[in-house]
Amino acid sequence: MNPVWIVDASTVTAFGDNLGQLWQGLMEGRTMVRPVQRFPVKGYHSNSAALIEDLVSSGNQSLIHTMVERVFEKSEKIPVDSYLITATAKSGIDNMEKLYKAGSADTRDILLSALPGIITQKFGLKREGINISAACASSTVALARAAGLIAAGMAESVAVCSLDFITEFVFSGFSALKVMSRGPSRPFDKERSGLSLGDGAVYILLMSSKRAKKENRSHLGSVIGWGIANDAAHITSPAKDGSGLILAVNKSLETAGIKHDSISAINAHGTGTVYNDLMELTAVNSIFRGRNVPVHSIKGAIGHTLGAAGGIEVAIGLKALEEQVIPPTTGFKHPEKGAAGLVSSKPKEISGNYLLTTNSGFGGINVALVLQRDTGV
Amino acid sequence: MKANVKGIGWVTSGGMGYGRNSDRFSMDYAILPRLTRAMVFEKPNRNFGRMDEYSRLGLAAVSQALKDAGLHEWNEKRNIGVIASTVFGCLHTDIEYYETVMPQDGILASPNLFAYTLPSSFLGEIALCYGLTGTSYIVNEQTHTGLDGLKIAMECIACQDAESMLAGVCDLGSPELLGMEERILPGAVFLVVEKIKEVEPTEYGQLTMDHNGDIRLNDKEVGDLKSLVQMCLYNLNAGK
Repeated sequence: MNPVWIVDASTVTAFGDNLGQLWQGLMEGRTMVRPVQRFPVKGYHSNSAALIEDLVSSGNQSLIHTMVERVFEKSEKIPVDSYLITATAKSGIDNMEKLYKAGSADTRDILLSALPGIITQKFGLKREGINISAACASSTVALARAAGLIAAGMAESVAVCSLDFITEFVFSGFSALKVMSRGPSRPFDKERSGLSLGDGAVYILLMSSKRAKKENRSHLGSVIGWGIANDAAHITSPAKDGSGLILAVNKSLETAGIKHDSISAINAHGTGTVYNDLMELTAVNSIFRGRNVPVHSIKGAIGHTLGAAGGIEVAIGLKALEEQVIPPTTGFKHPEKGAAGLVSSKPKEISGNYLLTTNSGFGGINVALVLQRDTGV
Repeated sequence: MKANVKGIGWVTSGGMGYGRNSDRFSMDYAILPRLTRAMVFEKPNRNFGRMDEYSRLGLAAVSQALKDAGLHEWNEKRNIGVIASTVFGCLHTDIEYYETVMPQDGILASPNLFAYTLPSSFLGEIALCYGLTGTSYIVNEQTHTGLDGLKIAMECIACQDAESMLAGVCDLGSPELLGMEERILPGAVFLVVEKIKEVEPTEYGQLTMDHNGDIRLNDKEVGDLKSLVQMCLYNLNAGK
């Protein structure tokens, strides 16, 4: 397998338009979950989310265009020969709402293929990209596919871009499902009551090590393992025994060629819903068999950014490996059964080269990635 | 990269069917059949009634493909994945759901409809119904050939992620309300592709994919999914 390097990463979240601001906010244990002003929330189960305050669309365009401009603002251009894989759960749905409310909108933006189209055009890429839709694991799947293409020698450079933003359509749905927390979410806390939503965008450029060295690119870290599996248990609830997640993690460790005891930390999906967090703790405790591997979630701080969540968490995972510390789990106070000794409300030092990051979503999907830090070898 | 075609199933304006059942395959812009539980399952299925139309369409086509491949009955969960291409996805359901949100400040928003406002929701229904635990997701391609899902499925087999995969397309067509110009053939068509275990190809033929992602069936170039199915069915009938 060809080594897969991550050579560029940028994020846009409620903390700001760069990864440094996001990292600082997470390390300080702050939450950006605030009362929502973007649309009326009177009839909903919650009134808060981690939204980007100055996010506005232009004319008939979807917010996709604004998010794309912002996530690429401080990045180098995507090499024109790159494969492009985008990932989103519901971007463009703002234009369907606009069509109902204002009577006009650019309907091309409503299709999920709009995102790769906009980026292909922006950078003049030689081949047309695809969008991957896999619920809240969309960007994690995109990264797994990107890594697979490079590892197999089918691509030298793959750009992954993922974004989702919160509209009334999305907010009302999670409210109707009664899975939203009234205040900021509290992943892995025994008093957690649901998730908080958030806006997010992420761009990650992956290259073969050979190409990256040739172009003198930075080596932020590597993707060495990936695994995808379905629970085959329920449409909106996770498998209680964590069987799908366990399968995905085992696949990722197998691809990576490492044992579970090499993993130094886990970036969990950690939505703050009762069933998701319980399922994840069951899976983690089953895989790591009593070993207290540090686990954290960033969703109490920036909300659940849906399809973009996994990509943002990979960017944070690389930073954690570099700094050898994982951020606190914002909102976590009293451990759920099985979380004691694993999850912390304070930053936790780690020691090692490998971090596991996982996401799960509606439809029973589970994805796991193994990241390796740049050891200078 | 190589794989055998083991089964084909579809629901199109021409009806529902699968290859070895000698059903006629056609795909045009006419109206799709309205699917009922009894058309798809012999036994009661508790989820079918609550599903949106898009999910029913995808599940029905996959059911036919699995039946054609002899994989529809199962006792233990299996490492088979589903990669589906779609253009419009669940937009019809999105519209239906949003119309429950607009009155009374969202108080009447339907949780059941919202659960189907992801184009990948029906993959979960398929996984649940047939015990499929493999890699499953949706691709939205810009080229509209319907072949991107198949390419990814072949890669999954080549990388030993799975020995069998389902790949195809699922689209209800453009929702009128949105007034979109895109014209996509409505329907769902799925192929079961599998790792080559024997030297001789199956009755449908053997797929190859080169480094550029171009697909061939028994060395003949394939332009899109519809023509691939027609070529497979021609091979099946020629071998009889």
